[in-house]
Amino acid sequence: MKKTLTTILAIAFVFASLAMGQATRPSELKYQPLQYDPPDPRAFRTECAGGLRAYIQEDHSLPIVNITVLVNYGSIYGQRDKAGLESLLGDQLIKGGTATREGSAIEDRIDFLGGSLSAFVGERTTTVSLSVLAKDLEEGLGLLFDVLRHPEFREEPLKLAKARSIEQLRQANDQPDRILSREYERLLYGDQPLTWQATKKTYEGLTAADLKAAHAKYFVPKNMILAAAGDFSQADLKAGINKAVAGWANHAVSFPALVKAFPAPAPGVYFIQKAANQGYISLGHLGIEDTNPDYFSVQVMNFILGGGGFTSRITTKVRSDEGLSYNQGSRFVFRWGLPGTFAGYVQTKSATVGYAISLIENEFDRIRREPVSDGEMETAVNYYLESFADGFQTPQATMANFAMLEMTGKPLNYYKTFRDKIKAVTKARVREAARKYVQPDKMVIMIVGDWEPCNKGGDKWAGPLDKLGKVHRITLPDPMTGLEAK
Amino acid sequence: MKRSLLALAALLAFATLAVSGELSLDVKEHVLGNGMKILMVPKPGIPRVVCHVYFKVGSINERPGITGSAHVHEHLMFKGTRVMGVTDFDKDSEIDRRIDALMDRIYREKYWKTDGDAAKIADWQNEAEALAKAEKAYIIKDDLWNQYVKNGGTGLNASTGNENTGYYVTLPSNRVELQMLLESDRMMNAYFREFYSEKNVIMEERRLSENRPGSLFDEQVNAAFYAASPYHWDVIGWMDDLKKMTKQDLVEFHNRYYVPNNAVAVYVGDFDPAAIIAMAEKYFGRIPKGPDLEPIRDGEPPQYSEKRMYGEGPAPTSLAMMFHTPPEGNADAPALSVLASVIGSGGGGFGPRGGPGGGTGRLYKLLVRDKQLAINASASSRPQWYVGSFQFSATPRQDKGVQPEDLEKEIWAEVDRIKKDGLTDEEIQKAKNRGEAMFIRSLGSTMGLASRLGRAELNRGWRSVLTDIDDLKKVTNDDVKRVAAKYFVKDNSLTAVYRRKMGR
Repeated sequence: MKKTLTTILAIAFVFASLAMGQATRPSELKYQPLQYDPPDPRAFRTECAGGLRAYIQEDHSLPIVNITVLVNYGSIYGQRDKAGLESLLGDQLIKGGTATREGSAIEDRIDFLGGSLSAFVGERTTTVSLSVLAKDLEEGLGLLFDVLRHPEFREEPLKLAKARSIEQLRQANDQPDRILSREYERLLYGDQPLTWQATKKTYEGLTAADLKAAHAKYFVPKNMILAAAGDFSQADLKAGINKAVAGWANHAVSFPALVKAFPAPAPGVYFIQKAANQGYISLGHLGIEDTNPDYFSVQVMNFILGGGGFTSRITTKVRSDEGLSYNQGSRFVFRWGLPGTFAGYVQTKSATVGYAISLIENEFDRIRREPVSDGEMETAVNYYLESFADGFQTPQATMANFAMLEMTGKPLNYYKTFRDKIKAVTKARVREAARKYVQPDKMVIMIVGDWEPCNKGGDKWAGPLDKLGKVHRITLPDPMTGLEAK
Repeated sequence: MKRSLLALAALLAFATLAVSGELSLDVKEHVLGNGMKILMVPKPGIPRVVCHVYFKVGSINERPGITGSAHVHEHLMFKGTRVMGVTDFDKDSEIDRRIDALMDRIYREKYWKTDGDAAKIADWQNEAEALAKAEKAYIIKDDLWNQYVKNGGTGLNASTGNENTGYYVTLPSNRVELQMLLESDRMMNAYFREFYSEKNVIMEERRLSENRPGSLFDEQVNAAFYAASPYHWDVIGWMDDLKKMTKQDLVEFHNRYYVPNNAVAVYVGDFDPAAIIAMAEKYFGRIPKGPDLEPIRDGEPPQYSEKRMYGEGPAPTSLAMMFHTPPEGNADAPALSVLASVIGSGGGGFGPRGGPGGGTGRLYKLLVRDKQLAINASASSRPQWYVGSFQFSATPRQDKGVQPEDLEKEIWAEVDRIKKDGLTDEEIQKAKNRGEAMFIRSLGSTMGLASRLGRAELNRGWRSVLTDIDDLKKVTNDDVKRVAAKYFVKDNSLTAVYRRKMGR
């Protein structure tokens, strides 16, 4: 009996190893088909008291609850003479306390529970997030809504935050990468809310009344969407939210119109002096909105051009072939309601700044001129199709994504149709996207680096930099005053 | 033979439900015949699998002259093997050998002599470049990366630390075999193609970090703090070593450390453990076991005197106070962790971009909020595998004319209070609650979990992630007072004072 069993096992093993032969190359591998359907936002959508919309998913895998409240509010609705108000509001929503609690008492309590409560005011969305153990949900929910609903912006913490913010201004021009991203946007968007910077004067002028006014205007239930996942019963959570929101009056929020007139900076080189052993470079122009019908073609095109890591052309050429840089590529940044930016980027030692730029320019030119290869197309499209499920790995991130879809006015079937839209991208559409949205004749080249060695160049590309276009030297404003440094 | 191996393997595979208090973690464990460990945490649902491989090797396994080589090696692991990334290995390797021979001559002329012949070097350099160009005909660029990407690989990366090196990818659950194939291939068949141009990439990586204001001073502080142990140099390595490192250095490094008995593979996601074990036997199981590896030899000798460093440059004026502490697993480590949590939490992270600026730490309340002497003030405990450190950091309020030395006095006064009275019961309980809750939260991230288990396995075993929480819960105020008195003494410290001096 025993012997027979062994024989059967032995045969089974032979079959098993035949069925699962050892491959030596990826092309020899065969994969079982995999079916994945993304969750449907409508299955999680609900409306709470006061018209507060919510996406809620029970997830009992860990004794944790995560809740994020999105508010349609950000610095893009701000005023020039009150620059910095939004970041102060983000800091003071919690630290400034509420009608009944001091800020430090809220922080101490949430910390004692091993939880976290944080607020962040971004460009056009504000997020206030709570994470607590499931046993502390009721208390956590109370703190979250107290902060959202009754912030007091007390004088002492506000005074301290203003002083710290002003001190932080000293660091505004320390890091070359931060200078580059700030000044690149300033050049492309011009003088408008997106690019206004706080100064000592604007911070000093801000008062608790300013913060209260902004809060009163934007923080109403109908201007928020809640996303929650965790170890709770949906009915209980909803009841808790309804209790917290009860009596919170709504009013119609009027949003300032977004500034959609942009300067057309003259093509050429914009150079910012910074003592560094590399040049930090962005070259490009304004991009598109993600509601653009060509969005998917642009994504695939940029993946091939410089967005797909080592599978992309700019990385292969500049890093892998030439060893010029550690970071390089191209990116389209998207923003809600406004065109984003497009940039090729690289950081390379001063002597190879001109050479690296010329290589990126060649790639811009090539993707406009020649069709991409079948292999490049296959890699890019497969990447989006096969990695699709990745975005749904955590229930909380999924709920937050759904809330964001709704807030930014995207169709709720966005994820359901995503893969079909990627599949519809063809080589011809990639080329069309490149010709339409990569425009070398409108391009600015911004460099933050050390002028002398960057301008001199090296063996493979000798300077001066004006071979790349007319050179404009930009002097950074003093971050304290916002005025030209003396 | 094969069969009995498999049967044995099946017996060794068992599910372990390790429990810490009320916490439990269901990790399935399997050991291959060659000593390689496989850890599995099945999480049915989303059809993705986080696949990580960790090696017990990092910059502490280097020595002067080859600093940075653990990291250079990690980069080269992406540049193809004898199988991957090449169309005709024989032709490719023939060119490669000629390039190596030329580079050897160049290095000798350039680095072994003080008066090397520049003209000769230039000629050889041109010849090597021509060969590198010819070699390109046989190279499939970034083959491994492409294979992963077109199969839906995300989180594709690798990282090198002081103590370990990890290789990461997350794949659709039907494609895990690809990871087993590619990762076992680069362990067995490493080839270090395009070594010389990749070194240039890494030197650019080093320059990038040099351009972070204050980083060069930090590197010097670190080197002064760790006098004897190999934590003395940064993972990126010294620029001279990067320049002079040879391919042979890497071959030796690889053969010694990239052996299955020095590695652990971790899988977290939607899979059947039996299938993972069968594939691991097939792919990783084919690699021969290597020799046993000795732990590093040097710890830190007692200082017997205080160290002080002063620097100036383009970064904000700041203060750092560092103290030598024992490594992970030491009986004093949990109390030090409680101290860092209570004194230091939420003291950093403030800025125009916001961030979780919870200011609940003692130093924040004392120096930032109440006395208003600092913009930030924080503390952290970093036990590490062989030697530990505890650090206080603070940035003074320049608008009030506060100097780093003023903050130093304030921190010492607070430390003295703690030595005498310890912490309050509520503070200690807060640190315990935070530690436990943060741990539970970390289990929600599949990648975070893989990384935590893999790294822990290489040092004290994966169960240490649970026992550390148990140990944290046992900390008393007497423990806190004892460790504060033992480690926060001048003779055990390095104080670094940095002042901003604007350059061009």
